Amino acid sequence: MALFVLRRLGVMLLTALCLTFVVFFLTNLAPNLEKLAKTQGNARMSDAEVLSWLDRNGYGGPLLVRYGEWLGVMPGWTRLDEPTGEWRGRCLAPGQTPDEAPRRCGLLQGDFGFSTVSDAEVAAIIPERLRLTGILMFWAFAVMVPSALLVGVLAGMREGSRLDRALSTVSIGSTATPEYVSGVIFIVLLASSTTGISPLLSELGWIEGRTLFLGSARSAMDSGVTFWNFTLPVMTIALYGMGYIARMTRASMAEVMTAQYIRTARLKGVSFRNIVLKHALRNALIAPFTVIMLQFPWLLTGVVIVETLFNYNGFGWTLVQAASNNDIELLLACSIVAVFVVLVTQLISDIGYVFLNPRIRIS
Amino acid sequence: MLNTPETHLATHPAAEMYAAEYKAGQLSRREFMVRATALGLSATAAYGLIGLKPALAQRATPPMGGSLRIQQGVLALKDPRTYDWSEMGNVTRGLLEYLIEYNRDGSFSGVLLESWESNADVTQYTLRLRPGVTWNNGDAFTAEDVAANFRGWCDSTVEGNSMAARMGGLVDAETGQAREGGIVVVDDLTVQINLPAPDITLVPGMADYPAAIQHRDLIGTNPLDHGVGTGAYRIADYQVGIAARLEKNPDHTYWGEAYLDDVTFVDLGTDPAAWFAAAEAGEFDMTYQTVGEFVDLFAAVGWEQSDVTTGATLAVRFNQLNAPYDNVEVRRAILEAVDLSVVLELGINGQGTVGENHHVCPIHPEYAELPPMAVDKDAAMARLEAAGQADANFTLISLDDGLGRFTCDAVAAQMRDAGMTVTREVLPGSTFWNDWLNYPFSATEWNHRELGVQILNLAYRSGVAWNETAFANAEFDTLLDQANGIQDAAARREVMARLQQIMQEEAVTIIPYWRSLFRHYRPGVVNADMHPKFEINIHHLGLSA
Repeated sequence: MALFVLRRLGVMLLTALCLTFVVFFLTNLAPNLEKLAKTQGNARMSDAEVLSWLDRNGYGGPLLVRYGEWLGVMPGWTRLDEPTGEWRGRCLAPGQTPDEAPRRCGLLQGDFGFSTVSDAEVAAIIPERLRLTGILMFWAFAVMVPSALLVGVLAGMREGSRLDRALSTVSIGSTATPEYVSGVIFIVLLASSTTGISPLLSELGWIEGRTLFLGSARSAMDSGVTFWNFTLPVMTIALYGMGYIARMTRASMAEVMTAQYIRTARLKGVSFRNIVLKHALRNALIAPFTVIMLQFPWLLTGVVIVETLFNYNGFGWTLVQAASNNDIELLLACSIVAVFVVLVTQLISDIGYVFLNPRIRIS
Repeated sequence: MLNTPETHLATHPAAEMYAAEYKAGQLSRREFMVRATALGLSATAAYGLIGLKPALAQRATPPMGGSLRIQQGVLALKDPRTYDWSEMGNVTRGLLEYLIEYNRDGSFSGVLLESWESNADVTQYTLRLRPGVTWNNGDAFTAEDVAANFRGWCDSTVEGNSMAARMGGLVDAETGQAREGGIVVVDDLTVQINLPAPDITLVPGMADYPAAIQHRDLIGTNPLDHGVGTGAYRIADYQVGIAARLEKNPDHTYWGEAYLDDVTFVDLGTDPAAWFAAAEAGEFDMTYQTVGEFVDLFAAVGWEQSDVTTGATLAVRFNQLNAPYDNVEVRRAILEAVDLSVVLELGINGQGTVGENHHVCPIHPEYAELPPMAVDKDAAMARLEAAGQADANFTLISLDDGLGRFTCDAVAAQMRDAGMTVTREVLPGSTFWNDWLNYPFSATEWNHRELGVQILNLAYRSGVAWNETAFANAEFDTLLDQANGIQDAAARREVMARLQQIMQEEAVTIIPYWRSLFRHYRPGVVNADMHPKFEINIHHLGLSA
């Protein structure tokens, strides 16, 4: 078991290394560096100014060396700024000389680097963003998992029944609607004071504000999560995942319900209710468990859209900002976080599988 | 509040000349105000010269207190000289003030300056500082501060320092620094600026958003790092891309009045649909700018509307270094094919006035009226055939925003109507600005400038940094130099007429329209009117009781 976990951690490190190198390579392509120089220097810089800016800010060296600097295996760059006589460098605070500063400052030294778009240390940004996304994910899971399991079990316990057909149609519909479609539909229907049902409700005096729900989750960041500001983003994420998990649960449930031991239980005269709850459910939940764990990586992509749509400044939003502004070190940190989340959830899924299904052994 | 009429000039020989021109109908009221106040007259004195009572420039006095949220991009701050977006100036304006403020009626009024005046041939300016202004670190605001800022502005060796271009002749071309003897500290409260050649654009230059006044020891630094300024506010929180909050600084005695307790700039991205959704959710009280169809939408949900006509436009320009646009006949053919009134209607819903394919707007003092350009699609195609470019495929590049996209679509449609082959390419903002100077055929948004010569100096003079058309014309440059030294609007107009003509003849760019700018705010917000240069001065804002 310990060996298994260890091996998984090794894979995680290797994946993170490969992924960050790919991201590093892509963000350091010449046009991307030019974009960076122009967002950081001046949007209307000339080509000569761009080159000078890149050189002065440490983007001039060979790619591998700079990747090494970021990892912390190569010494950080330093250079003397001629006109001012001040030293500049990767590891230098303003006013420091190379002798006073540490030689290396990279990932190995625990330094995630500096985010150019946010104008702050990456290490200071990521935790707060992750916390906000964590809140959103928590509520999305809290809505998605129980409702998906319920729908799946209800649909799967009598395969082919009218209930099964109805619930399956709903699940397929919800999983076939991507977030950027459902989110917009929700906003138009429920969060506009001129269209949808809000003006109607407002006229009848059934709601206090102008709209039923808020089309922006920004207030959830400062003044806390409320039913009013968080329903739409949570529903948008949850609906998409719900359909998929429900379909998996249904398939698994339907299969279990045809198993020999269920038939035996029925012949013994056990009530249908007890068959479902006591005999079928545990075995039927093994497959959905893996699927639920697989939803974490899916949700990471989902929050990119939902957070941008609903103005919620979490991890997904940060990723969009970093990518659109070519913020190299923030993007690298985001990739590490993504690799970590994906592989840790897979690890949990594998270990959890063992506990749910004693027939499986981890070698 | 901002003007102390006694210390401003009561009159000026040139201003009296303008007053005569105004009365003769040669200048509009707005043009007169720009010219007279640029010479150092207070707005009141200027209005007095033409026998009008000042009405527009006066602001309401809101009650003290309250907090306001403004929708606006929150960008990473840097050395104010290198600001490239007016949003940056809007946030720091609560902390770092300016010498002079450009008002929405076209006049200038002093902020950190009490008054200013120029000599008759506009080669020497005398700036008189407002007494009793202190920095929030306790230091007194003196002539040394102003001189240090001028020296900083003139330092053209600093990358992206756009103030160097605004300082014009004050910059020594050889050293890239301020000219010897150009900036003279006369006494604690007086600074004299000596220019080698007449320059009428110095005052508008001092009022522009990169001209924020920093402490004498902090030139070239990011205000966020030190927080030293003369304004009534301090930056309490600054998160790029999310929000910036300013609060009244309790440890600082401000020289003027400031009403609101705190102001938050809320960044909601670049999609106006997201702004509208957030407005419906009550996330802010005032927009930075409302664009396109959202003008009607905001009005429909009961927000107050404020608009201002400006010289802001979208230049659908050619780069003459690229074939086939190096051929003047090709450029002429395209101009001839495009009906600008249609572009105005389709591009910006008719929210503006029709342009004339030269970059001088009717509200500029020196604008000369030219005969209208003919639109003839058959002649255009014939011209193109004569130039041997009938099969040319024109690729028109635009930014992926409403304004640029729809306008270029309309231009492309007009060209196709004439029988030309046009490919449209739409790029996202991050990619578009990488190469905006060099695209063969693309559209660039230009903001309003106070005087007509300013934008010609910035964008159409041979070899200047922002010359995106690669237009190089010796006659144009000579005439422009001449115009820069003519103070009299009527006399300058003669030169200007020829400059405008050259732009049309050489078919430098399509200038399809002059935009009106809109802003919306919740009922109850005071002094939030739209400004031709997007300026927001949070010292003026308030909430009615």
